[in-house]
Amino acid sequence: MNDIAIYVEQLGKRYRLGANGQQHNTLRDLLADSFQSLFRRNGKSSARRQDFWALREASFTIQRGESVGIIGLNGAGKSTLLKILSRIVEPTTGMARIDGRVGALLEVGTGFHWELTGRENVYLYGSILGMSKREMDRKFEAIVEFSGIADFIDTPVKRYSSGMYVRLAFAVAAHLQPEILLIDEVLSVGDLPFQRKCMEFAKGLQQADATILFVSHNMFSIKTMCSRVIYLKHGQIQFDGPTDEGIKHYEEDCSLSTLSWTESKPEDWPIRITDFALFDEDDQAKKVFEYGERMRLRLCYQARQLVENPNFIVAFIRSDGVACCNFSTEVDGVIIERVDGDGMIELMIPPLKLVAELYTIHILIREKGFQKVLCAQIGSTFHVRHHLLDTHFGVFHEQAQWVWTNNQIVDKKMAVVHK
Amino acid sequence: MAANMLEATELKKPHQRVIEIRPKKGLFDLDLYAVWRYRELLYFLVWREIKIRYKQAAIGIGWAILQPVIAMLIFTAIFGYFARIPSDGVPYAVFAFTAILPWTYFSEAFRRGGTGLVDDADLIRKIYFPRLIIPLAMVVAPLVDFLLSFVVLLVLLAWYGIMPTANIVFLPFFLLVAMVLALAVALWLGPINVRFRDIKHTLPFLIQIWMYASPVVYPLSMVPERWKLLYNLNPMVGVIEGFRWALLGKASPDFLAMDVSLFLIVLVLLGGIVYFKRMERFFADVI
Repeated sequence: MNDIAIYVEQLGKRYRLGANGQQHNTLRDLLADSFQSLFRRNGKSSARRQDFWALREASFTIQRGESVGIIGLNGAGKSTLLKILSRIVEPTTGMARIDGRVGALLEVGTGFHWELTGRENVYLYGSILGMSKREMDRKFEAIVEFSGIADFIDTPVKRYSSGMYVRLAFAVAAHLQPEILLIDEVLSVGDLPFQRKCMEFAKGLQQADATILFVSHNMFSIKTMCSRVIYLKHGQIQFDGPTDEGIKHYEEDCSLSTLSWTESKPEDWPIRITDFALFDEDDQAKKVFEYGERMRLRLCYQARQLVENPNFIVAFIRSDGVACCNFSTEVDGVIIERVDGDGMIELMIPPLKLVAELYTIHILIREKGFQKVLCAQIGSTFHVRHHLLDTHFGVFHEQAQWVWTNNQIVDKKMAVVHK
Repeated sequence: MAANMLEATELKKPHQRVIEIRPKKGLFDLDLYAVWRYRELLYFLVWREIKIRYKQAAIGIGWAILQPVIAMLIFTAIFGYFARIPSDGVPYAVFAFTAILPWTYFSEAFRRGGTGLVDDADLIRKIYFPRLIIPLAMVVAPLVDFLLSFVVLLVLLAWYGIMPTANIVFLPFFLLVAMVLALAVALWLGPINVRFRDIKHTLPFLIQIWMYASPVVYPLSMVPERWKLLYNLNPMVGVIEGFRWALLGKASPDFLAMDVSLFLIVLVLLGGIVYFKRMERFFADVI
């Protein structure tokens, strides 16, 4: 048996974009456009075409049994790479050779049909994933048991809750028993418990010597899963090597990048964050905080024009996208009358009561009254550590006041409550 | 242990070993063998189509029968009774139904074959499988409706006391022609529909025009002699006439014209496969 599971050479994917990235969506548009271009000077039409390389000259080799993380900012080509390797899209250049049965967890449950029952969908989805009927007959019981929804297996899937739906779909995908697993955590829907299940499944496969290619924004899961990362930037491999080093590169680039949901262009922002750092109470630079520790956060800004009453906002976003808390100068009653030129903001966060997880800091500057966004950037990530409290325990933990009363006087006390 | 052994042999199936991914070169890099490897998916997609077609309809599969019957009643009332269109000496209802049967199959296969890719856009965006499976499944699935309404036809024939001729054995051949024709056209329209949803809106008219260009509601004898040659090139003319010939003992279809149109169908089919495979590369990007 060959020891190379995935061999990739000079792999590239080019997309053609029209002007402003628009495409002809109806035949009429195309005809109208072609007609217009007849009357334009030659060459002008071709100038409107723009090539965009989503992935460019990617080459790497992955040994059997290796787990490799693929990291990079949004639009760096991570998903494109996975889509090419799972044969959904065709590469423009280069080649890839994959040796082994491939399972792709890109989006669990695509291919389920609402009108069909759970049982019917198991077969349909299984066959879409490439399982034979014989194989499914044999695994059916195990799939149903794994999903934990045996009672509803003959109910149409449209009556399922979304959790049940995902569980069943995942059970089918898990029983594909792939030798090479492609996971895209960025694309896959699912809450934290589901993501955790995904990870447990991947770890199980890892022990069975499967090869895993894992796309994620969650550096925490990347660290626990992979000893090697490939860091993609603008479609090209920027780094390929040990996880810690790769993540360092990534986080350096990630810091102060633009938040993907912003509509305005960073060039148009009147103000932007130029530097950002995290410290503990003793001014030691830090990325991992103990539960209950205080965090000091410093950010430098540069205003290109006079900005009146800016509202500085710092938000902590958990790795699954849940916004956990938010600090704002306006809410906290801090008035910054006007800023112009360079400056610095420092804030001292109260003791961290968030449970152990990975969090990303988002920094926003808004106009007064939470109006228009003036600037929206990613600060950096940090971890909270605690030996017990994790997301099983909720978003945050705060100690409560407990009073214990022994049996004899309970009646009396409850009587007081009921009155 | 035995189960593990079984697993191991399964994983070693040759088709699940080394996969090479590279840009397709040339027009004839078709890899049709992949379709064969995924034949079970074809089976399940056809099965899905049949299952969901009449789900949550009170009379369920009854629609498969009701639809052609209603079409027959309308045609009989309007063309047979009001317009008094001749029907070659058989009751108009029978005359119409023998054509509605292959026509309904063909138009369904053609319509679903043309729009199936877009209906399964999610699958195409997220999962690999040979895309040819979709039009294939869409063309095969309406056969079930055909078989059901065929039973109705037999009842209708019995009602009018008409005995099908021995030529009924050729019926599968004509059905096959309709099927291959539907597939051939769908292979061209499907990829265009992926890019331009206009096809979806054009199809109903196309189907209607095609129906009136075929001897469904009127007999072939009504077509002016000078147009006959051109008219006969429509493969559905041969199919419908073939049905009437096999079931009612009418004049045999013009086999010469049929040969020509069969040749054309094969050309369109082969061209369609090449075109489909060529466009397939961009489905996931533009769908």
